[in-house]
Amino acid sequence: MNRIEDSSRASSGLGRDRRNRRLVTIWSMAWGLAFTVVAFGIKRLEWSSEATLAGVIGTSILGLGTVVAYRRFLLETDELRRKIEVEALALAFGVGVFGGLSCWLLAVSGALATKDLAFVFVAMIFTHVLGILLGYRRYS
Amino acid sequence: MKNRLKVLRAERDWTQADLAQRLEVSRQTVNAIEIGKYDPSLPLAFRISRLFRMPIEEIFDPETGL
Repeated sequence: MNRIEDSSRASSGLGRDRRNRRLVTIWSMAWGLAFTVVAFGIKRLEWSSEATLAGVIGTSILGLGTVVAYRRFLLETDELRRKIEVEALALAFGVGVFGGLSCWLLAVSGALATKDLAFVFVAMIFTHVLGILLGYRRYS
Repeated sequence: MKNRLKVLRAERDWTQADLAQRLEVSRQTVNAIEIGKYDPSLPLAFRISRLFRMPIEEIFDPETGL
């Protein structure tokens, strides 16, 4: 409780919050860019296994940085914002795990035409954003 | 949970932004507490209590909902 309390007070919903949010944006954009480049390299440029491995490791490091930055943002942000974010994360997690597994079952059974379930991750991101928007609306 | 935050704030002629700054939270948090949509954490409730120099139970009424 102390860490959350101290960090909430320090953030004031202002300076530190803005800085943390900016860091999350920078890390996630860097990850998105790296992911796009690596996916393009693997699919279109037929990268060697060494280049692919280096690309995947680099992307994973940026992904880890994004997680750490987001965790810090969550711990240090204003308590209502934290609640909204956590509720949105729960919603996105539900869509990702349960929706994703349902789609996987459909794909295995042949009822779903595609076996590429990458759209589940996109659905998770959209659900998270939607959850945040709904949260701000609910508490205002 | 009902509370007297809006009344106490008005008595001091503070805006929501003023109160938010004193409590070191966002204005949205103050607004959500005032309209009863959000119950503050225990640390924040103690900060509110200290700010208004009143016991928590005189500011928040756990027996009543919206």
